[in-house]
This record gives sequence, C-alpha cells and structure tokens, in this order.
Amino acid sequence: MNAVMMRLTCPFCGARELNEFQFHKTAPEPGANPFASVYERVNRTDISQEYWQHVQGCRAWLYVSRNPSTGEVYQVNLLGTQP
Amino acid sequence: MSGRSPRYSAWSLLRGRFSGPGFWRPLWSGRQLQKAYDVVVVGAGGHGLATAYHLARDHGIQRIAVLEKRLVGYGNVGRNTTIVRSNYLLPENHYFYEDALRRWETLSRDLNYNVMYSPRGVLDLALSDGEMVSLARRGNAMRLAGIDAELMDRAGVMKFARELVPAGTRRFDIVGGLLQQRSGTVRHDAVAWGYARAASALGVDIIEDCEVTGLVTTGGVATGVETSQGSVAAGRVVFAVAGHTGAIGTMLGVPLPVETHLLQAMVTEPIKPLINSVLIYVHPHGEVYTLQSDRGGVVMGGFLDGFPSYTREGRWSRLEDVVQSAVALLPQIAGLRILRHWAGTNDMTMDGSFIIDRIRYDNVFLNGGWCYGGFKSIPASGAACAQFVATGTAPDLIRAHTLSRFASGHLLDERGGGPFPVRL
Repeated sequence: MNAVMMRLTCPFCGARELNEFQFHKTAPEPGANPFASVYERVNRTDISQEYWQHVQGCRAWLYVSRNPSTGEVYQVNLLGTQP
Repeated sequence: MSGRSPRYSAWSLLRGRFSGPGFWRPLWSGRQLQKAYDVVVVGAGGHGLATAYHLARDHGIQRIAVLEKRLVGYGNVGRNTTIVRSNYLLPENHYFYEDALRRWETLSRDLNYNVMYSPRGVLDLALSDGEMVSLARRGNAMRLAGIDAELMDRAGVMKFARELVPAGTRRFDIVGGLLQQRSGTVRHDAVAWGYARAASALGVDIIEDCEVTGLVTTGGVATGVETSQGSVAAGRVVFAVAGHTGAIGTMLGVPLPVETHLLQAMVTEPIKPLINSVLIYVHPHGEVYTLQSDRGGVVMGGFLDGFPSYTREGRWSRLEDVVQSAVALLPQIAGLRILRHWAGTNDMTMDGSFIIDRIRYDNVFLNGGWCYGGFKSIPASGAACAQFVATGTAPDLIRAHTLSRFASGHLLDERGGGPFPVRL
C-alpha cells in the first residue's frame, strides 16, 4: 500500500512529484447551495474528491479522487472530464 | 482515595520511599464502562479530559465518562510542539488565549501535577520592514487588551536571542521581532496525564479502547452513544476529537466548515543549551518555529502539509522546507541529526478560529476546529466548554465561536485569507 502519497499522475505530464501540485479544495456535493460550496467541506475518511492544479507543470486543473486515510490515489482526471 | 495515587507532596514522596511496592498507584484507574452517564465526553485528549475535569470540579456533575478510541494522549495532545502563547490579533481570540495562558501559569498547582510550564518567551521574528509593520499591528492589538507584548528592534532581538548572533552570513538579516515574555512551553504529555489523574480522582470514568461509532437519538434528542463496548445512555454528549471533527460532522449528518490537514514536527538529537526561547518566523511561503526541549533536542515545526489527510504520515517536501527554514535561521544546527519526526491531524476551519457550540441536537456539543491553537488553549477550553455544557449558556469568552458564524458572516478571520485553510 502506498501509505505516503508522493506523486500524482498528471494526464498531460505523467507521474510527477507531489510538490509540483497544489491542492485547492474538496469538491462540493452535487447540487450544493452557494454557502455550502464556499464554506462547507465533505469530510469522508474513506474517499476524498478534490480539485488540484499542476501549478509547477502544465497548470492544468485536475480532479483527484483518493483515500485520505491511506494516501492511496484512485484516479486523476482533467477537471471536467471526471466520471 | 484508596486504589488511587496519593497527593504529590514532599511528605508523600518521603512516605513512598519507606512504603513497600504498591504505594504509588496508576494515575487513572481502569474503570468499567457503566450503562448510563450524565455527560459522555468523546475523546481523551487535552480538551476532552479538561472538559471532564471542570465539569466534575466546577459544576459538581457526578457521572461523567471520557471515551477514548485509542489511549489517553494518543492524539494531538501528544503530537504538538508544546508552545503556549496568547499573541493573537483578534479580540475574540486573544482574550480567550490569554485566559488559557493565565491558567497555564497555575496549572501545576491546580492539578497537583508538574506540567513544567516554562515562560521562556516566544519571539516572532521579522526579516523585512513589511513584516515589522504586521508584528507592530499585532503587538498593539495585544497591548490594547492588556496583554504583554514587546516590539524589538534588531539590537533588542540580538540581545534577547543570543543564539541568532553568530549567524553573520544570514542571507536575509533580522529587522526586529515581537516578544511575549510570559509565553513559552509546557510538557505536553504531562498535561494529558495530569488532567486524566485529576479527573479520575474526582470520579470521572476514563475508558480507553472504546470507540464511539454513532449517536443514539429519540424524537430529536440525543439519548446516548453507540460504542465498540456497547451502547451507553447519556444526558449530554461532548465531542472533543481534535483532528477527526470533520468525521464527526459526517457521522451526525452536519457538513462542517472544516478540512483535516497534517501538521508535522520533528526533533533532533540532544545538544547543550542553545535556544533560550521559542523562535517563530512566518513568511509568505511557509513558516518555522523552533525551540529546545528540556532534554536538549531541537524541536521544529512548520506549515501544514496542504491537503486533507488522516494518515498521520507527513510529506517529505514539507519536512525539507521546515529544516531548510530552521537552518537558514540558525546555521549552527545544520549538522544535527533528526531523531524523530511525526505528524498530527489538524481540524482547519474556514476562518482559522475554533468552534465550541451545540451541533444538531440541543444536548450535543462540539469542541473542535482548533487549527494551530489546540494545545495552548486546553485549560481555557476545558473551563469554558464545561460551563457551556453544564449551564447551557456559552460563557462570554467563547460566545463568538459559534458554528453559525460562517452562515451569518461573523467570521473570526485571524489570517484574513478567505475560506481556505491553506493558501501558499
């Protein structure tokens, strides 16, 4: 198990060191009202859906789903193309 | 008092010397979980134990249980960098943390347990004129509230913090600093053990290895909790689960303005006395705070890892960043080896201030969202939270720290950074 998250796989640049990426926030629930999407966060310990940006690379916005309790990364998609 | 450790004094030390084995007892007794309590506190960390202690001592509540998933002091009370201070900018925060600092000063006597409060001073450093202006602003806000703060120029800093002097080759020179002399450090594990011992002596049941898995409700009122050791009836429930507050929100179906981030700390091999105070330098891209433990190790910490995590395993780049910043500040420590390195989970709220409020039910209370202030606030949080739970009315010190402030716009945005816990 990949306990410590070290890399993310950018759809354009491939597997890159985590340092190149910046976390923005967790994705709000679908249909969340404006207050909830600004201030409230989804706090699940088993899965976390997040917005990231490859700031020191291609600067693409990414949609990452991963397990915050183990560090395992399930999927990295370009924002807007997530399932 | 049979079955419990006697009160610590020179006399009991002498008696212990001449009594046989068994004179000293465990600090808190291994009691069995009962079927019903007046108050159930979830989480035997600093805040949970302090709340239970004050409920028993100040409000005479008889049947109290503190339920802990792991061990007493396994969470953030044993993972912080032991710093206590009250140098905050906003009135709602600096009055509260000042109350905590006053309580730290007398806590060893109150608990009859030496928590090793060491008022060695906390010195915030400025390496530019702009940083000096922001330190002056914070210092002025504190002095207006009657809290001690001393703005120092370069000469003052060099005189106070001798360890900074030999570093003539520093790339960015020190411009000045803001000193709070009464701030300092407290032995963190002793806080957990001292509160556990004092609460236990007042009849509080501290149950370890007892995970709370759900809340039992009847007709819109909480009536108890489900635990790994069976269900327990409770008149009131207090959640004080630093680092897992977000998960409690999910359990109760209340989305919280909280993100869970890791904060790392590390300690080097012991050396002779070098750092006399706590040195803090915050810059736009991170921060470093460093002090020397009583054992001689140089303790260092920095910024959050920067993304939600419950792993308690820090990311490498942050460790590098903290060490680089510490060495830039104190080139003397460059050759030291790091002995231990760890991480704790921080509840980061969307305005950087804590929350003590009712959550969803009238008799369920949340004590969380402590951001960076969890350890230093323990005595004030315990007293205020206990008063809130016992009387049903929030004391003035925590009146602004509601859960509804985010919706009503009455944010306590200490950092002035908007609804993000981390922005680098």
